[in-house]
Formats: sequence, C-alpha cells, structure tokens
Amino acid sequence: MGITDNILKRIGLGKPSGDQPVTFWSKNRGWLLLAITGAVFAAYPFLPFISDYWIDVAFFVGVYALLGLSLNIVLGEVGLFDLGHTAFYAIGAYVTAILNTTLHIPIIVLLPLSALIAAGFAYLVTSPVIHLKGDYLCIVTIGIGEIVRLTMINNPFNLTGGPNGINGIGGPNLFGLAINSSTQFYFYTWIIIGVIVFGLIRLQHSRIGRAWNYIREDATAAEASGVDVRSYKLLAFVLGAAIAGMAGNIYASKQMSISPGSFTFIESSLLFCIVLLGGLGSIPGSILGAVVVVVFPEVFRQFASYRLLFFGLALMLMMIFRPGGMWPRKREGTGLDGLGIRGLPRNDEDLILLGKPDPAILKPATTAVVRGVRLPPVTVPMDEEMLLQTHGVTLKFGGLTAVNNFDLNVRTGKITSLIGPNGAGKTTLFNMITGIYKPTSGQIDFLGRDITGLKPHTIISYGIARTFQNIRLFPSLTCIENIMSGPHCHARSGTWAAVMHTVAEVREERDIVATAAYRLDEVGLWSYRNELAKNLPYGKQRYLEIARALATAPHLLILDEPSSGLNDKESEDLMVLLQSLVKEGFTLLLIEHDMQVVMGISDWVAVMDMGQKIAEGLPKDVYNNQRVIEAYLGKEDD
Amino acid sequence: MATVLAIKNLVVNYGAVEALKGVDVELGEHDIVAVLGANGAGKTTLLKSISRIQSIKRGSIALKGLDLATVPAFRLAGLGIAHVPEGRHVFATLTTEENLNLGAYGVRSMPAGKELEKTKEWIFSLFPILKERRKQLAGTLSGGEQQMLAIGRGLISKPHVLLLDEPSLGLAPIIVQGIFRVIRQIHEEEGVSILLVEQNARKALGVARYGYILELGKIAIEGDASDLKNDERVRAAYLGGSKVNC
Amino acid sequence: MATFFEQLINGLTIGSFYALVALGYSMVFGVMKLINFAHGDLFALGSYLGYTLLIASSSWVTVHFGLWGGMAIAMLFAFSGIGLAGVLMERVAYRPVYPAGRLSLVVSALGMSIFLQNGIMAIWGARPQAYPAAVVPSTRFSLLGLPVTSLQVVILLISFTLMLAIWFIVEKTTFGAAIRATALDRSTATLMGIDVRVVIFFIFALGPALGGIAGVMNGMYYRAISFNMGWTYGLKAFTATILGGIGNIPGAMIGGLLLGLMESLFAGYVSGAWKDVFVFFILIVVLIWRPTGLLGEKTAEKV
Repeated sequence: MGITDNILKRIGLGKPSGDQPVTFWSKNRGWLLLAITGAVFAAYPFLPFISDYWIDVAFFVGVYALLGLSLNIVLGEVGLFDLGHTAFYAIGAYVTAILNTTLHIPIIVLLPLSALIAAGFAYLVTSPVIHLKGDYLCIVTIGIGEIVRLTMINNPFNLTGGPNGINGIGGPNLFGLAINSSTQFYFYTWIIIGVIVFGLIRLQHSRIGRAWNYIREDATAAEASGVDVRSYKLLAFVLGAAIAGMAGNIYASKQMSISPGSFTFIESSLLFCIVLLGGLGSIPGSILGAVVVVVFPEVFRQFASYRLLFFGLALMLMMIFRPGGMWPRKREGTGLDGLGIRGLPRNDEDLILLGKPDPAILKPATTAVVRGVRLPPVTVPMDEEMLLQTHGVTLKFGGLTAVNNFDLNVRTGKITSLIGPNGAGKTTLFNMITGIYKPTSGQIDFLGRDITGLKPHTIISYGIARTFQNIRLFPSLTCIENIMSGPHCHARSGTWAAVMHTVAEVREERDIVATAAYRLDEVGLWSYRNELAKNLPYGKQRYLEIARALATAPHLLILDEPSSGLNDKESEDLMVLLQSLVKEGFTLLLIEHDMQVVMGISDWVAVMDMGQKIAEGLPKDVYNNQRVIEAYLGKEDD
Repeated sequence: MATVLAIKNLVVNYGAVEALKGVDVELGEHDIVAVLGANGAGKTTLLKSISRIQSIKRGSIALKGLDLATVPAFRLAGLGIAHVPEGRHVFATLTTEENLNLGAYGVRSMPAGKELEKTKEWIFSLFPILKERRKQLAGTLSGGEQQMLAIGRGLISKPHVLLLDEPSLGLAPIIVQGIFRVIRQIHEEEGVSILLVEQNARKALGVARYGYILELGKIAIEGDASDLKNDERVRAAYLGGSKVNC
Repeated sequence: MATFFEQLINGLTIGSFYALVALGYSMVFGVMKLINFAHGDLFALGSYLGYTLLIASSSWVTVHFGLWGGMAIAMLFAFSGIGLAGVLMERVAYRPVYPAGRLSLVVSALGMSIFLQNGIMAIWGARPQAYPAAVVPSTRFSLLGLPVTSLQVVILLISFTLMLAIWFIVEKTTFGAAIRATALDRSTATLMGIDVRVVIFFIFALGPALGGIAGVMNGMYYRAISFNMGWTYGLKAFTATILGGIGNIPGAMIGGLLLGLMESLFAGYVSGAWKDVFVFFILIVVLIWRPTGLLGEKTAEKV
C-alpha cells in the first residue's frame, strides 16, 4: 500500500477497507487520482479562459505553496513559532541575484546552491537559539527576518543594491531549453513542487516526521523517549530554509529583479497564515492555503485598496469558523495503514507476534541485534549485582540543596523503591539519572559506565527509560504512534533513506511498528491502537506511558508514582503488571506513595528526606523503622 | 438532616461521550459524603458540574433549594460553595498569602482586613507550615504543602459546602493522615458539609457518613459508609484484597 | 556631552512610548497568551483619533482649552476611544477563536492588524498626516544648562505616572492578584469567585487605552503619523516584552525604556540605518545569555 493511497484514504477517497469487491477503480484508485490531478495541472494553462495573467497567478501560488510547505516543516510538524521565515526566502533570492548578475553563474546551478546557502545560514543563526521556548524563539525569528531585510536595504559592500535591489537577473535554462514564458515558469515551478511534495510525504511518514511531531506534542517527553530534540529542530529549520531558498531562486529568476520590499515581516506573517489556514502539518493544506492567500486579493482586485481590509476580515472569519484549517491532517480513522509503512502483515494482530522481542535483548551486557533495531553495544563487563549506582550525587539550585550526597543502588532484575515525603528530592534524583538535570557533584554509573551529565536521549539509548509523575504523552498522536517513539533511539535511518525508502529503512520501520504493537498489546491497549492518546481515560494513559517506556527496550525502567490516581483495585492490577515485567527481565525503580504497592512488590526500599538518605533496607525493616515512621509513614489513626 | 446540596438526574457530555448519565447525589447539613469509583467514572466531572466550570446537559443542582443553573459560576464562591480542585491548582507564581487572599475574593461580606486576617490565622492554625511559607511562591511549595494551601484557600471563604477532589493524590502517607485529620476537624468544629471525591476508598469511607460509588457515569452502589466498607462488591472492586502484610 | 544628553532624553521619550505600548501588550499577553499583533495598530489608531480631534473645526479644542488642555483632552479621547476599540476587538476577533488555541489566535490577530491598518488607510488616506504646529506645545527651556522641551518633560511625567499606576494595580492590589490568577488558570480563578469576563474586559480596555495615550504623545512628539506605523510599534512592543521577560510588568517597562535608549544612542553615535539591526542583535544576544529575558519569566514548572 503506497503513500498515495494513504493520503487518499485520509481525505476519504481511499480504498475502502474490508471485503468489498475489487474493481479496476478501487484497485488503482490512488494512481488514477494522481493521474487526474496531474492532468488538471497540465491542462490548466491551455484552458481557453486562462490568460497569461492567471497563469502567472498560478505561478505565484506555486511560489507561496513552496514557502508554505517549507514553513509547515518548522511550524506545522515541529511546532516552532517561526515568524521570520522570509529571511531564508530572501537569502535564496539574493544569492541567486548576486551570483547571477556578478559571476554569471547559471540560474539552474544556483537553484541547489541557493537552497544550500539558505540552509547553511539557517543552521548558523538558529543553532545558538534553538533551545529557546515558544514566544522567545518567535521574537528571535522575527529579529532574524528583520536583520536580513535591513541588511539588504543598507547595501553592505555594494552587494545588495540597497532599497532598489538588483535588476537584470537571468532565467533558468534547462539543458538548452530557456524558461521564460509564463507557461514555462508555471510547469517548471509545479514540477519542482511535485518532487518536493513527494519527499515531504515520505518524510512525514518516517521516523523523522514522527520525531518532529513528538517534539511538537511535548518536547520534554520526546527527549525522554530518546529523540534528540535539538538536532531534529535544527534539521527542520535547515530543510525548511533549503526549500524557502529554492523558492527565492525561482522567484528571482521569474521577476528578473528583486528588492527588500518583497521580504518584509508582513510576508512572513502571510506564510504563517498559509500554514494555519491549510491546517498545521498538512501538506495539501499548505498548498490550499497558498491558493487562498494569493488568489483572494486577486479576485478582489477591483475593490482596490479595500481588498486587504477584506483579507484581514477573512483571516479572522476563517479562524472563527474553521480553526483547524481547511484541510487538517487526520490521524484517526486511517488504521495502521495511515502510518505509511510498507510490508505490514495483512492482519494487524500478526504484528504483535512479529514484535515479540528476542529474549537476548533484555539481558544486559550483550550486543543484541533485534530485527534491525540495533541496541548499542555494551563493552564494559558489568557488576552482576548492580545495574545502576549513584555515588554521592548532589544537586544544588541556587542556595538550595535539593539532593544531598545520595547513594542509590539498583540491583539487576529487582524492584527498588524510593520513598519519602513530598519535596524530599526523589523526582529530582530521577531527573538526574535520566539526564534532565546535571548533578552539581557525584557520579552515576549504569551498566558499569559513567553516564553523569549525558543528554536524556543518549541515556535512554543506553537502556534507562522513564515515566512521568504527571503523565506526559503525545496527546494528538495515536496510541501506536506514541509507542513508536520508543524504538526511535535505536533506529538509524536518516532523511535520505526515509525519502528513498531504502531496504534498510523499510525493514526498520516495520520493526518499529511491530515492537510498538507488541508493547501496546502487553499493557492491554491493543484495541486502542488507532485512538488519539488524549482520548484515553486517565488510567489507560498511565499504561500507555509505561508501554512507551518499554518500547525503548530498556534494562532499567524508572516509574514516577505509577499508582498515583489509581484506586486500590487498579493499583493491584498495576502491581501484577510490574511483577510480570520483572519476570520478563526488566529491572524496576519506583517512586511511590502507596504503601500497599511499595511493600507488596519491592525487593529493596530506600527512603529520602530533605535530599538525604535516611534509611534503606528490606520493605518490612523500612516499614518499622522509627525514623521513617516519623518523617514519612506516620501512624494510622483510623 | 436538612439537605444542603441536591443533585438530581445530572447528565454531562464530553463531545459524543456521556460522562455522567443521570446521577443523583445528596449532601446534608453538617455532613460528609464520599464519592468513590474507578478512573474515568465521572467523579471529577460531578464536582466540576456543581461549581459550574463544566457545562451540564440535563439535570438540576440546587443549593438549599436555589437552582444553581440560574447563578453565574463565579458567584458560587460567594454563596458558600468552595471547590478544592484535583491536582491542587494553586496559582504557582503568586505567593502563598496571595493565594489565600484570593480564596476570599468572591465573598463580599468579608472585606480585606480584620475578618480576613482572623480567618487566615485559623487556616494557619490548621496548617502551621503555611504561615512559614506565606511569602513564598506557591509553585515552589512541596506537593503536600500545595495541597494544604489549596484546602486553606477553599476554607478561607468560610464555606457551607466544601467540594474536595482527591485531596490525597500523590501525597506521602503522613501528609495524607494530616489532611484527613483536618477534614475531620473542620467538619466537627466548623460544621462544614463536605463532598469528598477520593481514590483512597478506605480513608474516605473512614471519615464519611454516606458514600456513593460511581461506575461509568452512573451511581452503582450507595449507602452508609459503614455498610459500604463491608459490602462484598465494594471490597472486591475498590478496596483491594490485601492489607499491608508487614 | 550635549549630544549625549540629547540622545539620552530622546531615547527615554521614545522608550517611554515603547514601554507604554509594551505594558498593554504584556497585560493582554499574560491573560490571553495572545501575541496581539493588532496592538500596535490600535496605538496608530489612537494617534489618528487624537489628530482628528485636534484639527477638528480649526483646532477648536486647542483654541478653547489651550495647548496643554488640548493635549489632555486629545489623550483622554484616545484613551477612551482605544479602550472601547480594544474591548470590541476582543469580542469580535479573539473571544470566538480562543478555544482553538494560540496559533489560531495569532492568525486572527494578524487578520485584525491587516484590517485595522487598511481601515485607517481607508479613512485617513495612505499619505502620512501631521499634527499641526499650532496644537503642539513647543516651549524650550534649559535644565542644568542642557536644552529640553516642556513636551518631553510632560511626556516623561505622564508615562512614568501611568507605568507606576499599572504596576501598583497589577502587583499590589487584590484585583491585580485576580488578574494574575486569571492569567495562570481561568477555571480555578472562577472557583475563587473571580469573574473572568470582568478581568478580560479590564485588560482589553486598559491595555490598548495606554497605547492610545502613547499614540497621541507620539504624534505630538514626532508630528508625522502614518497608517502603517503600528507594525513597527507593535513589533517593538513585542521585543520589549520579551526582552524584559514575559508576564512581567516591570520587565515590559524596563524592556521598553532600554529599547528606546539603545536605539537612540546607537543612532546618534554609530548609524541610524543600522539601529534596528543592532537592537535585534542585542535582543538575540540577551536571549542566548538569559533564555527568559532580563528579569526572567516567573515560572515554577516541575518536570
């Protein structure tokens, strides 16, 4: 089942699932619709009522569609608030103009070159600021956009031609065929868009596209499930800038002259509107958005200066009546097919079997190769007993010592619990183990190697997974997509492999979805696989989060108050699951307040108060420890 | 016992899903009633509907005969209903004291000044730690302290009816014991009527007079707390089989 | 030295416009989480309202109430007019979109901004207008041997008084606490007995109204006004808000003043053409160094 079919299915034109008779139409629906779309595009310039003027309009729709698609990567897929995207467009246009008019490099050579330079520029300017959150990043992108525009106006080294810009830019020449008529530009642009859309659809349905979406949904959870958030954000900016740079090249070669007036903040905000009007993260939506933004003012041209007034009104009305955009990306209701992964078994259920892990994967100290999803080799021979040890770990926030000289030992194959009053520093210790905080002093050893201060996504690939106290899922993704973030950190396919569907990539994708299927089934949520995570009831969300952690194939699973918000009966069910996980070979570390759970399943209990260890031992010893009773357990009075 | 809060045939929808399917609950004068049930049974929805931050589809909610549907949500605090929401929801970047003051915001009969200071002292006597923390931002308090602040913020308006949503959620046993002691105390000394939603069924039935058990948006079982504690169905579904064996 | 002083007082004056606009911006931002791109255009509209009042019937207002009286009336007029416009704007463009989330709100705000800008153009024309000299007080005097205009002194006095008043209301009164509580969590604020609609009304009336006053003062100071000047001021207000730290009233004031000073001094000593590049560059450097602005965002998020 190809991507086209999936897309069509999303918009309700796809093959019907189930046992309906296979006709020529239903079998080849995807290709046929693709052919029809292509035919319409090809015929458009030759229609009798289409003048050159409207062909040019279609050309500009193309330029804005490219820009919309490029911003959609940053804004739609990753959720980064980019209101200065025009900067990359401007760089592409100016690179083309300057190099063509001074060094006479052919436009067609400059097409990839402007993409490359815009991408390089994006990398340079966004990498120091990529860690900024929401609105702070937004103002920085606006700032970058303004800096680029003002620089062009100020004409440094006489390169940019100042406010008047650059004239006399040549047109593209394709192997002897000069492109200069409106119709030629129309085809040239839309063919490029076709190629880019193909690549973007492939990316959207790969681990890269999913990683982007994980970041958009919850960056902390994404990092904690093994996504290198920083790199993927940068990748989005770089790819987005490359496409915008191309758009700049095409624009400059068509107009033959450019000036800073075309690259204002207003332009950036129009691009923003294109993405939102179409629907966040929707490829057809971005194109449709471009149509609206370009064609609307053209249609109202006769109203002269009032047309923008109407346009402003229309933007507001659209957001009031269609806040999700005209063509939002749909995730539910497409079944597993919607994932766009090739070679899935005919029955969904067969995936579960396919995803059953090789027992070797859970034995520490081995280099396990599990169906393409390779675990990192662990070369240092480890202590049989100790999986994780913290040595004198301390964390100070300002003057406050949150965790003080803490030694924690977690034995392989056991359940260790960390208990203590609220605010004692338990979660802070977890955050240090999983790399969210860096200890002020002390060392953390896992599998015999020092993991102190490593990034969360690295630590998880070594085999430590966690859940959060306040469940952190990817709310608008389906349950199976949520869990597919787990194997992400062990997969290796890159952008190119995802676009080209290399053999290794296809196999890896299948392994990822199979692993996810197995884990989803293990926690009893298989039937919810195509539901959005946010629609699950609270208790089930906890299980989903546990499944996501398990799918990273961890040696150690860290659970922060797993029974919080569950009633006694539900807690008991949870205990059964946790014990079965130990049997399967996982090692567990819990923070827990429910003494029934702690005393019922723990092999070892450590007690923390005000950042320090006040007791540890077997559950029953800790339960009767006077100091623990005073600080934490209290006396039951009912 | 005179009825303070009467909920009749309450129906609430979330989109297409019926969260509550016709629920009747009564809370009397000087009363503690517990609402128990599994996750997603609709307990929190019930409390949110009472304080009108959740819109309802059908049914009536009356406070001493006054139909609450006729009152805007923000007036309920002034009418003597205080809601301590699940997950505490203290205003993180306001100080402890500002949080407490806001608790009395909707009560017109209590202008800032002597009366408010007196009530605040009472809250501080219930939760002495809050006095130490009064200038601290609420978000920097520990989970237990935040829960105390949330309850204190609810009590400072001197309500007739206190809606308590999962006061023990995520708290250390010793804090939970303290909180339940305070619940008993305000009930006994101040005569506040309390509608208590809890996961910790054992504790909740320990303080309550009467209990309701919600299942999938309906009242499945109801009765005196002492009877519910010994009810086989309740034991099996909500109390769990085992006691701590050590 | 004289140049320095001139640039300093000039920078403070511009900075106080930025700060007033930023203040309203920041208040709206706090409660609605809305980047209100139309805020700058309300400022521009305020400028035009003041202008229209002052030139009406051959400067009737100025003739009857004197230069300062005229200025005061124009500011009051812009204050109430823009306050009303702000409330209307919230009703029409933001309240219906609010449930759809922040990004949709941004688009609606952009739409509002385009609408206002083109509306101003449709009414007053595309060409810049100017406050006539006859309505602008222009007394000069010397302060410690350095030349200042009485207009500058009055502008600074009014701005600082307003800023202080707003700071007091938001940070020190119970209603201010209610505003901050509403900004953090609307449902819980309702449980406290706070009428969220009143808070929103107040914010959308007062925030833009401050910009309206700034608009009139800006018109008096620079004389020339144009339909698209709102973009720049909105952008500068956003910059100032972020520079100081989101949701931080003193932050917005300091951010605005700092922005004005940096601009003016850079323009005076280095280059006028590159001043905005410099300002944005400084902003980026500040954010790299302090990711949540100079005074920092008040947060207490736990992972």
